[in-house]
Amino acid sequence: MIRAENVHVNFRRGPFRRQIQALRGLSLEVRDGDFFALVGQNGAGKSTAMYCFLGLLKPTSGSVEVMGLVPDLGRAVYSSVAYLPEEPHYHLYLTVEEATRYYASLYGHRVPEKAIHQTLEQLGLAEFKNLRLSKCSKGMKQKVGIAQCLIHETQLLFLDEPTRGLDPIAVREFRETLREIHKRGATIVMNSHVLSEIEMLANRVAIIEAGRVVAQDDLSSLLAPDRGLYSVTFEANGSVPDYLSAVERQGTVVTAQIPQDKLYDFMEFSRASGLALRECSLKKTSLEDKFFHIVRGGQEPVISAESERAK
Amino acid sequence: MAFLLLFAVLTGLEFVPQLFVPSGVQKFNTLRDILGTLNFFLLLFAAGLGLFIISAHLRNRSLKMVFTKPCPPYVWLGSAFLSAVIVALLLDLIVLGGMTALSLFWHLPVRTGLLFVSADTFIASIGLAAYLMLLATVLHPAIAAILAIIFNADMFYDGFVWAQSAIRAGNHSAGLRVLDRAFHFLYLAAPILHPFSRQTENIYVSLRVMHDEWKYLLFSLGYSLALSAFCYLIALSALQRKRHI
Repeated sequence: MIRAENVHVNFRRGPFRRQIQALRGLSLEVRDGDFFALVGQNGAGKSTAMYCFLGLLKPTSGSVEVMGLVPDLGRAVYSSVAYLPEEPHYHLYLTVEEATRYYASLYGHRVPEKAIHQTLEQLGLAEFKNLRLSKCSKGMKQKVGIAQCLIHETQLLFLDEPTRGLDPIAVREFRETLREIHKRGATIVMNSHVLSEIEMLANRVAIIEAGRVVAQDDLSSLLAPDRGLYSVTFEANGSVPDYLSAVERQGTVVTAQIPQDKLYDFMEFSRASGLALRECSLKKTSLEDKFFHIVRGGQEPVISAESERAK
Repeated sequence: MAFLLLFAVLTGLEFVPQLFVPSGVQKFNTLRDILGTLNFFLLLFAAGLGLFIISAHLRNRSLKMVFTKPCPPYVWLGSAFLSAVIVALLLDLIVLGGMTALSLFWHLPVRTGLLFVSADTFIASIGLAAYLMLLATVLHPAIAAILAIIFNADMFYDGFVWAQSAIRAGNHSAGLRVLDRAFHFLYLAAPILHPFSRQTENIYVSLRVMHDEWKYLLFSLGYSLALSAFCYLIALSALQRKRHI
């Protein structure tokens, strides 16, 4: 669906035209039907990568293909694409309804009034349909952006920080809508800082750091339990063995981690000391843990075998 | 826009005393002055449209919402420019209608010059809007406006006349000759609002059109369309090279 190979993007900014390398050899592949998340720190290059996929930015070098075509502004391939920008850069003189109709009509075919009203109703915008976008709150503008993405059943959705500015109820409803769209078979590429949200939605993730992909894999593989480490919770009053790490105490309840080779030693210790063991399980990795580990820990790039083959 | 309206109202007030004059000649002169003033404002308005019709979208970065749809830049640019032209045409028709109504109200003959002057103004506004649309696509609108006001055909013509007079007065320095050529070239290259103003100046005074003078309207239209096409192509190329992020 999307293939980016060794993409470099350089900007020149400031009075001395200082060169900024926004992307430094970014390579990734989004497969048909993926719910693909781009994760990274601020300024890592997530939005720049998305701009390249959308043709809003021409790479300085490297290649980008979307649905087998080089993305050029306004090409026919965009009839299958919907895009929700990070900043709501809309035509502020339009009302909510006019904007939804205008963006929908740019796909080149007439949109039934019923579809517009249904979408506005679905997103809770119906009562504000005559309000100018310039008067709308950030969340409402975001909903207008979502409305123009949902009105056509597009094959490929680009969502740049989609839940920014939305209230918790709208976030949950939007999440459900995205799940439905994904079930329908659409490919979704999403940028987000909310890692818990990505864990709930995405099936593939690319972690971008300093303009390049440092990890790219299925979410399930990326978050596979660490088989070398167990997490235990027990009640203890006295001291705990030295081989326990990441020890946290809350009253008498202790949470800690044990290396696999010390698990039987710990069992012996707990039986001998009469510890009340509450939980012992393989340590689960959250996307946040993995992200911190990769970005802060300076881990070597984790690229799935499939992506390697694609290269 | 508010400033323009205020200026138009204040200028309009000047004509109020003249509306009550009894003589037909004075009425005709007033009608011609009002037409001239309104046409001047129409041109200013067209310049404003040209200046902001693209740059407003570029500056608030709303074009990313358009170009990520199956709407090619050439279509969008063309439609934006056509919108400006249609607005200018509507305003021009309103002015023409108003002037015709005023002629009838004052029992003055409705002269064909009214139609000619209005059409000529509309044609000029097409070229002006296209030229400023191009400048504002490439430059900041304020710089574009300054450039259009200062560096125009009239200024280069004045420069050319000055250089010619200095050469005729006996100054044959190489620098002056280069300046003379440069001014001449820039005068020919710079867009002209009314390319046949010398041939049609009598029409603007008498509001009468001779049979063989209508052709200048056609020539002006040809010039204006060629200028617009040139500006459109350069603006399109600039628009496609810009980063809409």
